[in-house]
Amino acid sequence: MKSNNRKKDIGFIIFVVLAFAFPFIFSLLGQTSLTEGINKFWQGQLINFFIMAVFAMSYDLLIGYAGMLSFGHAASFGGGAYTVALLLTHVAPGILKSYRIFIGNLNITEIVILIMCFLAAILVSILIGLLFSASAMRVKGAYFAMLTLALATALNLLARATDFVEWTGADEGMHGVPVPMWINPTQNRLTFYFIALTFMVVAYLLMKRIVSSPTGRVIQATRENEDRSRMIGYNPVTYRTLAFVIASVFAGVAGGLYSLWTTSATPSMTSSVTTVNALIMTIFGGMGTLIGPILGAGIMQIFSQFLYTWFGARWPLVFGIIFVLIVMFLPYGIVGTWRLQGFKLKQGWQRLLGMLKSKD
Amino acid sequence: MSHNSKKLLYSVIGFLVVAGVVFGLYTYAGQEAFIRTTLSGLTLGSLFFLVAAGLTLIFGLMDVLNFAHGSMFMIGAYTGWQFYTNPTFIFGVLPLVLAFATTVMLIPVIKPRLVRLDLSEAWQKRLPILTYIAALLVAVLALVKFDILGLAKTAMVAVTTTSSNPLAELSPQEPLLRFLLRLLLLMLSGAFIAVGLSKPGNRTEVSAPEPLKKRLILPVVLFVLTIIFTLVRESASEGVLLMNGNLRFALAIIAATLFGFLLGALIEITMIRPLYVRSFFIVLMTLGMSFVMRELVQVLWDPLAYQMVRPPLFAQPGRATTIAEWLMNGSSTISIAGVTFPTYRLFVILLGVVMFVFVTLLMNRSRLGMIIRAGVQDPQMVEALGINVKRVFTLVFALGVALASLGGIGAAPFLPVQPMMGDQYQMQGFITVVIGGMGSYVGAFVGAMILGMARAFGDYFALKLQLSPTIAEASTVIIMIIVLILRPQGLFGKKD
Repeated sequence: MKSNNRKKDIGFIIFVVLAFAFPFIFSLLGQTSLTEGINKFWQGQLINFFIMAVFAMSYDLLIGYAGMLSFGHAASFGGGAYTVALLLTHVAPGILKSYRIFIGNLNITEIVILIMCFLAAILVSILIGLLFSASAMRVKGAYFAMLTLALATALNLLARATDFVEWTGADEGMHGVPVPMWINPTQNRLTFYFIALTFMVVAYLLMKRIVSSPTGRVIQATRENEDRSRMIGYNPVTYRTLAFVIASVFAGVAGGLYSLWTTSATPSMTSSVTTVNALIMTIFGGMGTLIGPILGAGIMQIFSQFLYTWFGARWPLVFGIIFVLIVMFLPYGIVGTWRLQGFKLKQGWQRLLGMLKSKD
Repeated sequence: MSHNSKKLLYSVIGFLVVAGVVFGLYTYAGQEAFIRTTLSGLTLGSLFFLVAAGLTLIFGLMDVLNFAHGSMFMIGAYTGWQFYTNPTFIFGVLPLVLAFATTVMLIPVIKPRLVRLDLSEAWQKRLPILTYIAALLVAVLALVKFDILGLAKTAMVAVTTTSSNPLAELSPQEPLLRFLLRLLLLMLSGAFIAVGLSKPGNRTEVSAPEPLKKRLILPVVLFVLTIIFTLVRESASEGVLLMNGNLRFALAIIAATLFGFLLGALIEITMIRPLYVRSFFIVLMTLGMSFVMRELVQVLWDPLAYQMVRPPLFAQPGRATTIAEWLMNGSSTISIAGVTFPTYRLFVILLGVVMFVFVTLLMNRSRLGMIIRAGVQDPQMVEALGINVKRVFTLVFALGVALASLGGIGAAPFLPVQPMMGDQYQMQGFITVVIGGMGSYVGAFVGAMILGMARAFGDYFALKLQLSPTIAEASTVIIMIIVLILRPQGLFGKKD
């Protein structure tokens, strides 16, 4: 078991090193510029992948680890995105005009404001998580799915409401959010690439720590058997609420980063389509694992590129068919099936060895 | 307080609240606006009911949350629209679907033999997968070079050209011999699926079969239909186009409903039934299917919105004063208590009420309804009493999809026919089911009417008080939350 874990760790470290080195390797191999052209394009693809991977992982925390099929996860994602975009557009310029914050001689006003924005996004996603939990946590199964869907729809309606048009842009959403120069994805994409990558790695490590902590174990126990975990003294509602809020926070931060990356916040970020995207990524990669959603997000990002060139604008059809086939035949996703098969292979191998030994 | 008097008290309180709200709205809005808004609310409520009735029955009986229901609504609208404007596509594709369905429905015939086969456990798992792959390959082979896009375009062309000759857009179909080959291959594909779904070698599935004659009825009927529709596939679309518009619309309604029924049965048998052991995945499956259907429609008819022409009974300009006058002249509007209202919407209200009566009769007066009501309470017990619950599941799923499909074609003449048209109705359907209580069709009706009214009056107030129209949409969510706080099991739901 321990060696297996170490193997996984080594795999992850190799992946991280490769991802960090990617822009440099790419420009060396292709003799292209580090910050322009095709390199910039692929950096963009990967940035999208990193952010969506975190979103999918946070969703997996809900459906894979806590066993709650929520259809309202986009509310946290969109909530984070809107918080960051709103603060940057409507509050930050005023502060920037009248205050300057220095460390020594270094002007760090923009950095502090950005950090404040993300803290606000975390706060908002905690609130959204608590609101959803308060109204939906006592029901289970299909009721839970419908309630979360309805609540997320309410938030989507709020984002589209024409009453706040000068703030949120209603159906159009907010575009051209004034992202600080040093992190702006159009001008300084390489910086943004590293920030997004770091964010994904940190999120992965944090979530891994959470799911293997005692609390995480109780959350998984609640998924397996609610009555039993209540019998031994853990209130399932508390632990599920905790899982929901944690997932909500990760989704909120991912949403905030996504709004920086696209320099926009649109109602579609809070719509159920966004939730379904995360769901598809999670199912593709494998529920109940953290590597799975990352893999699923990567596959979806890269697949969509190739499928688009092969099948044109209607590539989601092919994607949908593959999704249906996976649900039917590989219910544990790619990672889950891989692990099962690996276990079976090992078993077969051991049986073979045993047979040889007994023959001797 | 005894149970009965408590019930009475709640009914009285409910009645007083409803009466108060109605009176308040009436005095506030004035007679004309009140009647007009109420009628619009009833129209919306009828459509919501058609969607929610299927959802609530399917959920109540088999615990399946059908996320593809909105797409079924959309498919119904597309089918009806196609049938009404130019049925070439439908008659060109129908024999293929029927051929495939014929052999899939052979399951009860071949299953008793297949489950008795001697197979090792590994092969019991492997064989179905192999047959599914074979079925897929054969189906692909069967559809090679089938000009399905060309067929689909015929109706699109019919929309854009306004020629006086209704037959101008008919296009010839491919030679019969090649078409027969396709039919045979699709039958083979269906047979492979049937073999895979019968779980060969799995002795836990052994049961006493019904007489062979009874088991053969459905496949034989489908087979005969396949042959008939193959032979008439060109002349039928001609015949339909030459018909009177009202008759064609009536036929379109029937066609869409029947197609929904068939589609529902096929989906339940081939895709949902294997997943009952892992119920969590059924939701994902229906979600994936709605994804596929929506994209498929966009491949066939491009991501555009179409406007279906209203049938002549609802299309003539002018205002009728009585129902008799409307039926004689086919006027597009009718005056009800001094309020001008589109006649087609009146028809939609009628459709909803008729279907409610139909469902009520079905549930209370028929044997099937009795089984469904018992199944909602306790499916295992019903199975233990010797009733084939699986078949009832299929029937209910098919019925639910047929109702959604009917809602779709009902909505087609006054809503734009487009790939996303079902999503909103599915959302409202979910909310309706939560309000009304899972598994209760009466709850679905009451909930649908409440939601329809909330939407209509929300729009009215938004317009009058210059609020954003979002208020109307949000009001349904607010109502749902209030109901859940006061009565978590829904208005007509039973406590767990």
